Amino acid sequence: MVDNEKPKNIGVYLCRCGGNISDVVDLQSITESVKGENVTVNIQDYLCSSAGQEKIKSDIEKGKIDRVVIGSCSPKLHLETFRSMVKGAGVNPNLLEITNIREQASWVHDKEGKDSVNSKVRGLIKGAVARMSSIEPLVPLEKKLVDRTLVVGGGIAGITTALELADDHEVILIEKQPYLGGHMIGLSKTFPTLDCSQCILTPKMVAVHNHPGITMHTQTEVADVAGSPGDYSITLKHSPRYVDIKKCISCGACTRKCPAGAIFLPFAQTVPQAYMIDMSKCDRCGACVKICPRDAVNLDAKEEITTISVGAVAIATGFEPIDPSFIEEYNYPSPNLLTAIEFEEMLSAKSKTGMRLQKADASFPERVAFVLCAGSRDFTGKGRKHCSKVCCIYSQKQAQLVKKMKPEAEAWIFYIDMRSAGRRFEEFYHHTQEKGVNYVRGKVAEIIPKQDGTLMVQYEDTNLGRKGREIFDIVVLCPALIPSAGTKELADRLGVPLGDDGFIEEKHVKLDPVNTLNQAVFAAGCVLGPKDIHDSVTEGVSAAHKVSQFLGKGMILIPPEKPMILECNGCGDCVKACPYNALTLSGGKAMLSPLACTGCGICVPACPIKGIEIRNFTRSQLKAQLKAMLEDAPGVVVFIDPYAYAAADIAGVNRKQYSSLVRFISLPSIHVLDADVVNAAFEYGATGVMLIEGTTDEKLASRSDDLYKTLKKDTRKHKKPLRYSHIETAQYEKLTDLLNVFASQAGAKAEKRSRKEKGEEKGEETMDA
Amino acid sequence: MQKETIIPESRDNAFRDLIIKMPGGENLLTCMQCGTCAGSCPVSHEMDYTPRQIVRMIQLGLKKEVLNSNTIWICTTCFSCSVRCPRGIYPTELMETLKPIAMKEGIRNKNAKFDTVFADVVKKNGRASEFLLFSKYSISEPGMIKQAPFGISLITKGKLPLSVAKMDDTRELEAIFKLGEENDGMETEK
Ligand SMILES: Cc1cc2nc3c(=O)[nH]c(=O)nc-3n(C[C@H](O)[C@H](O)[C@H](O)COP(=O)(O)OP(=O)(O)OC[C@H]3O[C@@H](n4cnc5c(N)ncnc54)[C@H](O)[C@@H]3O)c2cc1C
Ligand code: SF4
Ligand code: SF4
Ligand code: SF4
Ligand code: SF4
Repeated sequence: MVDNEKPKNIGVYLCRCGGNISDVVDLQSITESVKGENVTVNIQDYLCSSAGQEKIKSDIEKGKIDRVVIGSCSPKLHLETFRSMVKGAGVNPNLLEITNIREQASWVHDKEGKDSVNSKVRGLIKGAVARMSSIEPLVPLEKKLVDRTLVVGGGIAGITTALELADDHEVILIEKQPYLGGHMIGLSKTFPTLDCSQCILTPKMVAVHNHPGITMHTQTEVADVAGSPGDYSITLKHSPRYVDIKKCISCGACTRKCPAGAIFLPFAQTVPQAYMIDMSKCDRCGACVKICPRDAVNLDAKEEITTISVGAVAIATGFEPIDPSFIEEYNYPSPNLLTAIEFEEMLSAKSKTGMRLQKADASFPERVAFVLCAGSRDFTGKGRKHCSKVCCIYSQKQAQLVKKMKPEAEAWIFYIDMRSAGRRFEEFYHHTQEKGVNYVRGKVAEIIPKQDGTLMVQYEDTNLGRKGREIFDIVVLCPALIPSAGTKELADRLGVPLGDDGFIEEKHVKLDPVNTLNQAVFAAGCVLGPKDIHDSVTEGVSAAHKVSQFLGKGMILIPPEKPMILECNGCGDCVKACPYNALTLSGGKAMLSPLACTGCGICVPACPIKGIEIRNFTRSQLKAQLKAMLEDAPGVVVFIDPYAYAAADIAGVNRKQYSSLVRFISLPSIHVLDADVVNAAFEYGATGVMLIEGTTDEKLASRSDDLYKTLKKDTRKHKKPLRYSHIETAQYEKLTDLLNVFASQAGAKAEKRSRKEKGEEKGEETMDA
Repeated sequence: MQKETIIPESRDNAFRDLIIKMPGGENLLTCMQCGTCAGSCPVSHEMDYTPRQIVRMIQLGLKKEVLNSNTIWICTTCFSCSVRCPRGIYPTELMETLKPIAMKEGIRNKNAKFDTVFADVVKKNGRASEFLLFSKYSISEPGMIKQAPFGISLITKGKLPLSVAKMDDTRELEAIFKLGEENDGMETEK
């Protein structure tokens, strides 16, 4: 343990948060019980305000304090602000820590008795003070950034991000499909101005293709991610096109020769301009190979794997429609029952009908219905809860197109709420009404396909309170828009959490909308939730700016909480255990490469002589915190990693109540723990201990079971409950359920024990958990 | 029924608060008035208020209109609305919840009477009898006299048997009815 000679003067600052905290927690009583010889306590209305910050700063400058504990909202919100403030006042930033008494106390225990909430907060702050007096000042490590960015997804959001970045930073853009453009290239006209989608998009796609700073790969996906933020090594998987993009001049000679119709240009404006082969149709006759004047065709092309080195990643993988066949009463798929995307494509660059709107029998529909909210706004678990945002407007656009193509044709829109917020949208709504589109306020109840290819739609006109039935030639379903397949796998590989709707979670919903919880990973477009082109472009521009800001620093700061090897007998157990190859044996001793090390802590329990400690998360530091935290009142100790911590924050924001017995101890990873620490928790009065991790890093999560089993065995003597659980950031409801169940089990068990100890258990032993 | 202006006095929040704690009422506050229920309902055109409107009226606490509506009696408990409601509301259960409350409040509109007569016939005989139902209901509901020629033609064509089937032993059945009556039909309240 590091012990500075001069005494540490800790300043504790508690925030009322304008009543958000102080209405529930009695901060005055906390002050009384926390203050002491070297500990001063101060309460502010808003610590994050300049007055609040000024107070801390002046206390430091006057020499009153040299370490800071803050009791406020989640560190996610203001930790950086506070730390840079104390840095300015001359204090090492990591000598300031935040105890979260809003998201983890006042917002989630306000339905409980004041005493129990106060007791929890008192424990948390005392624990934090004990921790603060035991930790050492550390300086973050610096690592050189790789000045290259991977943009995943070639829709309008990815295209914009790439183009905005490429003048100053090297970009690699990958796209799963054989061509760029995403959904936008499959759109007809675009609301609210009705300009043609391909006319505004094609120049951008060509610009991507021609930009010297952008390397573009189509039919490519991420297969693996290694390395760390700022310095990733990413494996890409390229599916074969069978035609060399660089050689093909799109002369079309191959298509004319192919007897199987297997070689084709996806559509006229395709970027990259190159033919491709559908191998499921090809019978390998080789006619195309022979005729191609450029020798571009290779029937034996194989899937390829390459590895790239990048410093940052921008995720722009967009959306896909939900498959509406789960809505049984809509009878999708059926002839003339389309999704809105199929409708658009018929009238777009990708059209297979020569840009003609037509029924299955190739005639023009006289009556078209648009069915909104197909699978959106559904809280039954069958569809999606969220509003898909663009359908209200694009369905009106599509209805206008029907009327434009044939003014006597009928277009009906069945809606629940016509959501047309946003500049120019209400005018668009009004204009569509003027065109004679028929609006029905009521969600369609059923769609029945008829023998003659028409479709019967049954609904309630809720404005009249009357049931209605109509026959249509074409019915267009506006399906819920959901994150594209593969978004979760990609996000998991990059350590980026998703929200419970499956879209990428922003670093801050409002204030950091294109950053993620991983400082080197950014997002733009519909992968952050459904939105229109305007907003996708705005986010693309923002993401490019954020990437550029990140790369511009040239260096990335690495958390300094790394292992220190205090004693080593050269057994090499830690070297074998480290999942990131950060340890080596040199001259019979373990040696650390700090930049490769992620600080996961797996080496700590691996060392048989307990010679390794993680700086500022040493066994004795953790024990000191536990002891102070449990001094006044017992509780359930929950060791939690940063991903699961984020879930607890979301639970807080959603005011999901859970037992105030729960006391979190935040760790870089639960793998720093060994039986020493857990036993200490039990000895100091924990009624139960939980380990909760949310990391999606398989290298860690795959070892958690072993960790849990070892801990269970080595802490058995206490006969107190120990649990492990994996909770991803989105699963905040599961988290609170779990905490409640565990807290009550641990409580019941503790009660039983205490009765036993008092010898009262005669005859009534029914209270078992 | 005449539709009155909704004023504070028309609203009974206690009624709303009672219903949202009962079966079918759980998610009632989240109804978005989409009309899927009424659009799905095979008999909503016979109702004076559609199931959607009933939900809305409960949200507002329009107790009198809700309990006097024929909706709750006309519902065939087909469950189409409940299966499709995107907010997880069960209008079917709601109707079952409202019927005993209407009875307790002394509401005896013709739909309520029909249900009472039907229950009576079953209670006495352990079997449904169309003839008894028809005749007893006609007595309690004078308007039914207009239907007499139709009834007679059914009888002469042999479509309405006059014989009344009866269960051998109705004691168990009586016990069930008794249980229901003792609990005032409200035993399902949580
Ligand atoms: C029917 C319909 C009509 C619309 N009409 C309009 C309109 O008129 N006006 C308007 O402003 N907006 C409209 N929109 C919205 C518009 O389509 C979106 O705003 C826009 O397409 C979003 O762009 P994006 O790049 O975020 O996502 P996308 O267009 O979905 O692009 C994402 C790209 O990423 C690729 N990808 C996905 N996963 C991976 C992966 N794992 N690896 C590599 N690549 C991947 C996809 O293949 C795709 O090319 C409409 C939407 C719909 C559904
Ligand atoms: S945008 Fe309109 S149609 Fe789409 S889900 Fe939202 S409310 Fe429904
Ligand atoms: S903390 Fe983790 S990454 Fe670092 S040396 Fe130890 S085991 Fe390896
Ligand atoms: S279906 Fe459900 S949400 Fe829609 S109106 Fe009926 S009860 Fe309300
Ligand atoms: S359960 Fe009742 S209210 Fe619901 S659809 Fe069927 S008949 Fe109508």
